[in-house]
Amino acid sequence: MAEVALSAVGKIYAGSVPAVKDITFAVPDGGFCVLVGPSGCGKSTLLRMIAGLETITMGEVSIGNRVVNRVEPMDRDIAMVFQNYALYPHMSVYDNMAYGLRNRKTPEPEIAARVAEAARILELEPYLKRRPRELSGGQRQRVAMGRAIVRKPQVFLFDEPLSNLDAKLRGAMRVEIKKLQRQLGVTAIYVTHDQLEAMTLADMLVVMNQGVVEQIGDPLTLYERPATTFVAQFIGAPPMNMIELSPGAAPPPGLDGVQSLPVPPAGALLGIRPEHLAVSADGEPPITDRPGDVDLDLTIDAVEAVGAETYLHGRLGGVGQSFTAREHGKMLLPPGTTRRFIARREHLHLFDAATGRRIEARS
Amino acid sequence: MVENRPLADLVSHAILILGVAIVAFPVYLALVASSSDPTTIANGQLGLLPEGHLFENYWKVLFEGTERSTKQPMIVPLFNSLVMALIISTGKIAISLISAFAIIYFRFPFRHTAFWVIFITLMLPVEVRIYPTYKIVADLGLLNTYAGLTIPLIASATATLLFRQFFMTVPDELLEASKIDGAGPWMFFKDTLLPLSMTSIAAMFVIQFIYGWNQYLWPLLITTSDDMQTIVIGIQKMLYVTDALTEWQLAMATTILAMLPPVVVVVLMQKLFVKGLTETEK
Repeated sequence: MAEVALSAVGKIYAGSVPAVKDITFAVPDGGFCVLVGPSGCGKSTLLRMIAGLETITMGEVSIGNRVVNRVEPMDRDIAMVFQNYALYPHMSVYDNMAYGLRNRKTPEPEIAARVAEAARILELEPYLKRRPRELSGGQRQRVAMGRAIVRKPQVFLFDEPLSNLDAKLRGAMRVEIKKLQRQLGVTAIYVTHDQLEAMTLADMLVVMNQGVVEQIGDPLTLYERPATTFVAQFIGAPPMNMIELSPGAAPPPGLDGVQSLPVPPAGALLGIRPEHLAVSADGEPPITDRPGDVDLDLTIDAVEAVGAETYLHGRLGGVGQSFTAREHGKMLLPPGTTRRFIARREHLHLFDAATGRRIEARS
Repeated sequence: MVENRPLADLVSHAILILGVAIVAFPVYLALVASSSDPTTIANGQLGLLPEGHLFENYWKVLFEGTERSTKQPMIVPLFNSLVMALIISTGKIAISLISAFAIIYFRFPFRHTAFWVIFITLMLPVEVRIYPTYKIVADLGLLNTYAGLTIPLIASATATLLFRQFFMTVPDELLEASKIDGAGPWMFFKDTLLPLSMTSIAAMFVIQFIYGWNQYLWPLLITTSDDMQTIVIGIQKMLYVTDALTEWQLAMATTILAMLPPVVVVVLMQKLFVKGLTETEK
């Protein structure tokens, strides 16, 4: 069990732009850290540097207070689960799990005990003699997990382990991974581009974009107080609505209540999450407008009902910017109707238009 | 294709049977000839059915030799050919595997140059470089040895290319997983790459065994003593005898014997051979 600390870590591939720049954070012992970001943001490169599969161009990586920049992957006491599982196709499930232990000269009875234990936890006992190609995707994924846990490493590294599975299995495996990590108490670093996976798994979420860290924190903090427009739009589905506000100028038609917002001279972006756009259903009394709330008149042009909730897409004032609102239950408004949506002042997010940074709300 | 057209079936079968007949009939005739006695052949009375001298002829050719030409039992050149074909095929596979491994998995200076130099040797088969190669082998004192017979034929670009192509399709994650599992380069080669290459190796073995077995020009130059001769040369010597009749029944028996080892290799390795050339399993 160990803490993983990165200090000013950077990676520059020969003769090209930096892939990862100046990254500093520490994952506490037993913590579950998720690196999330769009493809090409450097999250996998960062993970591979921690694993020792990429050289570290700048900064230091330490695992359990030991700087591992120059330590071979096998000596870093880590285990990694790959996106395409990377199981040895010619070995049985048992041998796949035992291979790493054999290379470390673990005595054979000890190997048998550890593999049996892992197989029990992962429910792989009936498949130990099979080859990987005789298993389903979810089973292969579990073998890859088994290969990681038999080693009893200090750190688990996951490189998009669920992205080759279908949606249903992905949900189930997500829960299993979380339970397993809790149960074993091993520090985990997990790379994904799926914000849902990131939100549900992480104790500590690191959002990356173009090689730099946008924000680090626990998932709900990132959801409630995104530090930048990038984080605001990346975390949450459907993404946050954003509208530009210029100081002094009149707000676009259909948007009320924004005059009192502290818009800086360069302009600002007002962000409202779809789930925070409230509208009263037919026959219900209208929602009362409190001071500081923002009102939007949206003309509905598309309705997506998924059962438990309804996504309403509408244009501001009928012709302006498109907004998405997420309402509970059925809210089947016919296209063309105009409704007044209300966003509470505590649910407003304001960002500097020039820097993309969050402007803290007035008290 | 699932079609039911009797005429097309008939025609295609006829063509196939004709093809098989063209290939197989001469072999059958050789078998018939190897079972007859010298006078029948000399008088031009060879029929289409085997005669009774089969075992006698084979025994003679294997352990006694012909009466007038070489006077040498053919078991010796058969053995020489087998040794040569085995050394060439295993040697080629071993060297090609290692060089392809180096080219794909190691970053060293002039890696690409090394690959292109190997590639260029495709244009330099033994026939092209025969004089310098002969000179080198002769100066090294390797005439009439298995080393002289095989080493110049071992270096091979074709097998290196095949293994290089195969290694390039092995996912990088397998290498990375091995690294994390604590396997060094040699263990990765032995534990992961070799088992995965088994089918390609089998295909290569079949091709190179036949290549080695059929060598004619090089053994002709390099071997002078009778006990180092290969079977192809043995047949040649039987056919061209001066001042005597060619003992056709014995020559044909030798031919049949010479055809057997490649056939055995192909039959034994057929499954792996086809797999190695067509499917890749990773």
